[in-house]
Amino acid sequence: MTAAPPMVFVVDDDPSVRKSLTRLIRSAGHAFEAFASAREFLARERHPGPCCLVLDVRMPGLSGLDLQEALAGAGRRMSIVFVTGHGDVPMSVKAMKGGAVDFLTKPVDDKDLLAAIERCVARDMHDRGAEARITEIQERVQMLTPRETEVFALVVTGMLNKQIAFELRISEKTVKVHRARVMEKMRAGSVAELVRLADRVGVIVPKS
Amino acid sequence: MDLGTRSVLAVAAVTVIVSQTLLIVWLLFRRAARRRTRIALEERLRFETLLSELSAGLIHVSASDIDAALERGLRQVVEFLGADRGYLDAYVGGMPGVRFSCARPGMEEAPQVLDAGQFPWTAERLGRGEAVRFSRTDELPEEAAIDRASYERVGTRSKVSLPLNAGGPILGVLSLGAVRRQREWPDEVIDRLRLLSEAFASALERRRTELSLAEHLRFEKLRSSLSAALSHVSAPDFDREVQRGLRQVVDFLGVDRGSLIEFTRDGRTARSWAIEEWMDVGEFPWMTARLQRGDVVSVSQLAELPDEAAVDRQSYLTHRVKPQVAVPLLVGGIVVGGLVFSTVGAERARSAELIQWLQLLGEVFANALARKQGELEAQRLRQELTHIGRVSALGELAASLAHELNQPLTAILSNAQAAQRFLAADVVDLEQMREILSDIVADDKRAGDVIRRLRVLFKKGDTEYASLALNEVVGEVARLVRNDAVLRNVTTSLELASGLPRVRGDRVQLQQVVLNLVLNGFEAMREPDAGERTLVIRTAREDAAAVRVEVQDSGVGVDEKDVDRMFQPLYTTKAEGLGMGLTIARTIVDAHGGRLGAANNAHGGATFHFTLPVSTEDKS
Repeated sequence: MTAAPPMVFVVDDDPSVRKSLTRLIRSAGHAFEAFASAREFLARERHPGPCCLVLDVRMPGLSGLDLQEALAGAGRRMSIVFVTGHGDVPMSVKAMKGGAVDFLTKPVDDKDLLAAIERCVARDMHDRGAEARITEIQERVQMLTPRETEVFALVVTGMLNKQIAFELRISEKTVKVHRARVMEKMRAGSVAELVRLADRVGVIVPKS
Repeated sequence: MDLGTRSVLAVAAVTVIVSQTLLIVWLLFRRAARRRTRIALEERLRFETLLSELSAGLIHVSASDIDAALERGLRQVVEFLGADRGYLDAYVGGMPGVRFSCARPGMEEAPQVLDAGQFPWTAERLGRGEAVRFSRTDELPEEAAIDRASYERVGTRSKVSLPLNAGGPILGVLSLGAVRRQREWPDEVIDRLRLLSEAFASALERRRTELSLAEHLRFEKLRSSLSAALSHVSAPDFDREVQRGLRQVVDFLGVDRGSLIEFTRDGRTARSWAIEEWMDVGEFPWMTARLQRGDVVSVSQLAELPDEAAVDRQSYLTHRVKPQVAVPLLVGGIVVGGLVFSTVGAERARSAELIQWLQLLGEVFANALARKQGELEAQRLRQELTHIGRVSALGELAASLAHELNQPLTAILSNAQAAQRFLAADVVDLEQMREILSDIVADDKRAGDVIRRLRVLFKKGDTEYASLALNEVVGEVARLVRNDAVLRNVTTSLELASGLPRVRGDRVQLQQVVLNLVLNGFEAMREPDAGERTLVIRTAREDAAAVRVEVQDSGVGVDEKDVDRMFQPLYTTKAEGLGMGLTIARTIVDAHGGRLGAANNAHGGATFHFTLPVSTEDKS
């Protein structure tokens, strides 16, 4: 994981608003990049390090909310601070449900914006850590054999070895071996820990 | 010679002498008698000649010479009868009117008009058709004391006055007077005067008919010219035309002052137009109140005013105005005003005919007033409606206009706060500060422009025509709706023809028309599955005399059968629409001499267009 400096992206179609917001961001010492439209931003390659997106809601073509949706659809998680000229409630609810960090109304006070950006970057870094851990757990799950995955899924439901053996129509001894391999591959010290890991990545319980 | 013979001789001689003397005397007598007879005959002949000359002269004279003939005839009568003064009073409507007079050389001229106030007894008797005759003023009865004093004052010692009537109402009075000495008016003179008076009476009757015919013609001419002038007068020319009309009426009536008063619905005086000096209606409360009740007010003499008209009486005296006649102006049974005419000079009789004429003229003025009020009311309503339409159209834009204003404000605040932060740093980049300040100034101007554009459109003002560049008008609207288009996801574009001639119009109203058409276009593209939403505002040359503005959308199009209906008031397909937008737009375009229309496009959507005539100072 490379430790790139936090980056603030600004997407606003109004040139003078865009320019003034980036000035403010620069005055706080952040690195920034500005875009005149959602499409322009989508065309940019993913930023590897922690970042924050300051996004105008109302824009010709794709709106800010459209962009939020498009990013989520593409599996690009981003921490977003929305700025809007007319913040109506349904719109802000939609934005916050989509994971927005904040929803600010224009004209934006510098303290509010900069504080929101700070929170946004922090959230991004946090999310990024969590994301990295999940990726790691997923990698561990990937290492399990199909049979081990089956055993893993049943162990986390709280079944006893005997029950698992019955369920999978294998011997209890074989279940014990698979179980030990699962605990080892998943680097889990206890069943409780294993359950927590499963919770994180969301192992799907196979149908009986 | 005897005594007897001598005596016989003497007797014979005496007899001869006596008889001869008698003969001479007889002869002398006979001569005198014959002479008298001859004189009488000659006089009789002269009278008959006079009578026939007078009759012939008065009958065969042309209408235009009738007055001269009457005057000539009067002089002949005065000379023939050896009078000092003679008058012929022509009566109008039973009252003394024009007076012809004749006086011997060196005699004082008679008063111009027979003043019934100074000769009440005489006037009363003549009015009854009785002659007035006196040889000495002390023959006049007790009840004629005023007359006697008046006669003595003007020096009349003896007088005879005969009423003239050709079997009908009194037409006039023929009078002869003696000034130098008293004289008798024997029956013979009266008889002769009666014969002469018949010729005068028929001439006066003819004169009256001719005059009345001529006057009727003049009246009809006046009425038709007034109708023509006032029936098509537009509000701006109203004052001038009314003033001109009043002047014509005043001249026609031969009065001194004339006024047209306009009453408001609640009966107050709205305005007045006057020839010469106008007295405020407030000075004539009695007359005004009666006018407002729809009564004709005719005052010939101050004495006619009732007690409750004390204020009016005082005003008559103050303004030295005497008779006044006022007719109410009615439209649909409602008093909208009044016509008031007055004279400064003598009190004058008002005939029923005069009042009838005034009422007829009043109709002309009443219609003009009603039309003017209607026109002003319609104009006011139109302006009100136009304004409401504009405000409601802007209301639809409210959200996007707030955004339009918010953008520069956002930039200004962020720039200013960024500058504060940069200033807090150890090293200040002055170049950057300058840049920020110039950006702030630019955004300030941008915000100001938005406000200015809005204020112009929200303003409630009179129509102001000016020479306009159509592309500028259209461009302003395009800027105004830019944000709304973004919000509605509509791509707008401008296709402006270059080198368009200027048009003459009201900038705000024309912007309103374009704004309405654009908002309609937006509305037509509201359907979620409208596909690509595009709106084109286009300007073009229609022909040599007109330019054209088109607003083309890609919406649902218009129902062909609704094309005519949609310009009608209250027609709307929008849930929240007033249904007045297109109606107002058409009214405005019509007022500018253009045409507004709509048609569906070949590939979906509709195009609304309007034409405007090219400004005359820029026709190429």
